[in-house]
Amino acid sequence: MTGMATPVIRVDGVSRWFGSVVAVSEISFDVGPGITGLLGPNGAGKTTLLRMMTGLAGTSSGTITVFGQPVRDNPPLYRRLGVMSEHETVYGFMKGREFVRMMARLRGVTDLEGAVDRAIELVDLADAQHRPMETYSRGMRQRMRLAATLVHDPEILILDEPLNGADPRQRVHFQHLLRQLGAEGRTILLSSHILEEVEALADTVLLIVNGKLAASGGFRAIRAALNQRPYHVRVLCDAPRRLAAAVVELASVDAVHVDPDGAIVVLSRNVLDLQLELPRLAQSASISLRRVEPLDDSLESVFGYLVER
Amino acid sequence: MSAEAAGHPAPPPGRAGTVFDIGYRNYTGVREGRGRSRLAVFKDGLRIAMGLGRGGRAKFLPWLFIGVLASIGLIMALIAGAVERLGGPGQAQRMNLPSHGDLYGIASIILFVFAALVAPELLCRDRREGTINLYLVRPLTGGDYVASRWAAFLVVMLFAAWLPQVILLLGLALGDPLPATYLRTHWLDVPKFLLAGVAIAAYATTLAMFTASFTTRRAYASVFLVGLFVITAPFTIGLASEMEGPAGRWISMFNLTNIPVHVNDVIFGEVSELTEEAPAGKLPQAVLVAWYFAWTLAPGVLLWWRYRRLTP
Amino acid sequence: MGSVYSLTLRQLSGRWRLLIMTVLAAMPVLIAVLTLASVRTPSVVEFEITVLGAMLSGSIAPLVVLAIAAPAFANELEDRTLANLTLSPLSRRQIAVPKLLAAVTVAAPFIAASAFLTSHVAFLGDATATAAVTVSAVVGVALYASAFVWLGLVSTQAIGIGLLYIVLWEGFFAGFVSGARVLSIRYYAIALMHGLDERRFASTSHMSLGVAIVVAVVVFGGFLFLTIRRLRRMDVP
Repeated sequence: MTGMATPVIRVDGVSRWFGSVVAVSEISFDVGPGITGLLGPNGAGKTTLLRMMTGLAGTSSGTITVFGQPVRDNPPLYRRLGVMSEHETVYGFMKGREFVRMMARLRGVTDLEGAVDRAIELVDLADAQHRPMETYSRGMRQRMRLAATLVHDPEILILDEPLNGADPRQRVHFQHLLRQLGAEGRTILLSSHILEEVEALADTVLLIVNGKLAASGGFRAIRAALNQRPYHVRVLCDAPRRLAAAVVELASVDAVHVDPDGAIVVLSRNVLDLQLELPRLAQSASISLRRVEPLDDSLESVFGYLVER
Repeated sequence: MSAEAAGHPAPPPGRAGTVFDIGYRNYTGVREGRGRSRLAVFKDGLRIAMGLGRGGRAKFLPWLFIGVLASIGLIMALIAGAVERLGGPGQAQRMNLPSHGDLYGIASIILFVFAALVAPELLCRDRREGTINLYLVRPLTGGDYVASRWAAFLVVMLFAAWLPQVILLLGLALGDPLPATYLRTHWLDVPKFLLAGVAIAAYATTLAMFTASFTTRRAYASVFLVGLFVITAPFTIGLASEMEGPAGRWISMFNLTNIPVHVNDVIFGEVSELTEEAPAGKLPQAVLVAWYFAWTLAPGVLLWWRYRRLTP
Repeated sequence: MGSVYSLTLRQLSGRWRLLIMTVLAAMPVLIAVLTLASVRTPSVVEFEITVLGAMLSGSIAPLVVLAIAAPAFANELEDRTLANLTLSPLSRRQIAVPKLLAAVTVAAPFIAASAFLTSHVAFLGDATATAAVTVSAVVGVALYASAFVWLGLVSTQAIGIGLLYIVLWEGFFAGFVSGARVLSIRYYAIALMHGLDERRFASTSHMSLGVAIVVAVVVFGGFLFLTIRRLRRMDVP
């Protein structure tokens, strides 16, 4: 992730403090084309970091550049940047279409009505576009804000909790849209609490904990890098205790325990060897393996571990 | 009662559920009622008005105004003390220096601006941010909520009104060669200024909160209220000076700044500096007092009525 | 800039607000009409002190402008919509200038109409006096607007500080302490009025026309500069 040849966004040694509270501490990373997920528990510093990356807030130290230019106090950059903040920042008295048109005009879009039509179509709000936004539901406001963010066809999208208030159908639609935009080579940075979605969408993940960058990269690679934490593998078979007694002898196994429901959970730091040794062992002991599944091969488990440690 | 006995189909075998007691306990203590809720809203209103429990910025304006009002009492006391020292005992009274009866007239505009700035904090923000719904889903009616807020702000206004009077009283007493004698001879000033303070505090509180109930933006409520006080003064003075006789007196009655000060004059039995020239001062005292009650009670009732209808 | 200007016009022009401003602006006109109709006609000095000084420039104009100009940025900050403007390719100058112009556009017609009608009636159609009063009123509006737009951006207590300035500083101190008039927008506008029609408003207690014009330009430009600077440096919510 870091040391990318020509990063679109470069965050270099950035810190931000408010009085004696350090919200972000010495964070460095690069963001390139594709979808990057920004994760972290509440109060981790994600929003502060995003605000600095969009130029809304300054840094206490360090630099942030977008396309090699400083992002702070650099208005022309916003022609290429689309930002959707976490707040529902709309003008209630405006109609949806008016709002999107105004955002398009502010960003110098030339084919105004065409761009507005496309953006509103993308978020599926054509029917409601002529109503004042104060009559919209929360989800509709989010979608119209997304339309305003996309209307000028930006190369970079920075989205803070974009799915707040979205119903399941809208979430699916939005995920499809983001994948499409990411596949077009745009750089998308997405902050979310919904781990399953980030896991499904993001090529790379940035995990912020207590203002620091705890991990970055593909989440499976992150998981593999967590050497000190053994993998948990759940095994269902027809003779759990006999298998447990045999598995515990393997060099690749740290520990085994038997669940009340008869499954055994194997703790191993070397799942590659376990993957080879377990079926051989079961065959030699005439034990039928019914199911073998990793329990912490998910972003949620990585997140949970890194946040808690 | 089992699921079957309750008329629901039994769960399939192996799917039975059990709730384990992991130590959660329901609250079994006393559940206090409406009175406690009202008290909580009242206390919260005090904290909001004075910026207590908040940062320095929330305290700046209210305490600045309190400081200015206290300074008025202090300055009056110092001037009287200096005059007494230079001219001998009784000189301040012979020179007819401003005293307790004049203080509310002098400080009235500051009290009204204070009310205009702080009262909207108690009502507007809750409506704007929707937190009023959190109050209304408790054992609390809209009327309870606004009455508690009103009471809280009244306490604050009473403090703001009485503080300079108390400082003036102490200053005058301590400036006298025999403070105890001074207090004995002037003890009647105390109930007078307390009562006059209630009058001006209730008036400012009610009008300010009534105005604030019409908007969710604190700024507009504050400016409108100050405008009402500040602009009606020269407007009515100008008009009243052109129309002599009863017409002029009645127009002068619409000088909103003077309404509680006329009541102050009735209580003290003498005309204060602010209302000396006001044609309305020539009207009967009963009319002045009734006019005051009209301008205090009517907005109060309307305020209560507006909030009484609120539901979450 | 046109988008920001029309957006701000819409934000500041609520129906009730405009109605209240119309009523306030009509008050000095009514006084002037009644004054003329009465037997005892006040002198120019009396009229200037009570109607123009105390009422129009002393209370109505600054309060109206405070109610219009301070919310230009203050409401955006409170509603967290300012990011919609700062996350655009507009420079901070291109945001601040239309905001200020919109505030002046909303407030000025009321005060200008009030000043024009009041002085036209009171001075029996004297064009020079009427122009002097009207121009100085509009300049006063512009100066107050520049100050209060800046105040709405830098402080969450903009209205309180603005009211303190109007009521305490200009209404109280500057009236008693002549030196305080050096820092009073109201007195700049009054000095301008005196300078524009010395024949009617002759007085040596105010700054000269030339000084008043320079001060007005410096004040207006100064507050605009401060607004742009603040927009550049602040963290936008």
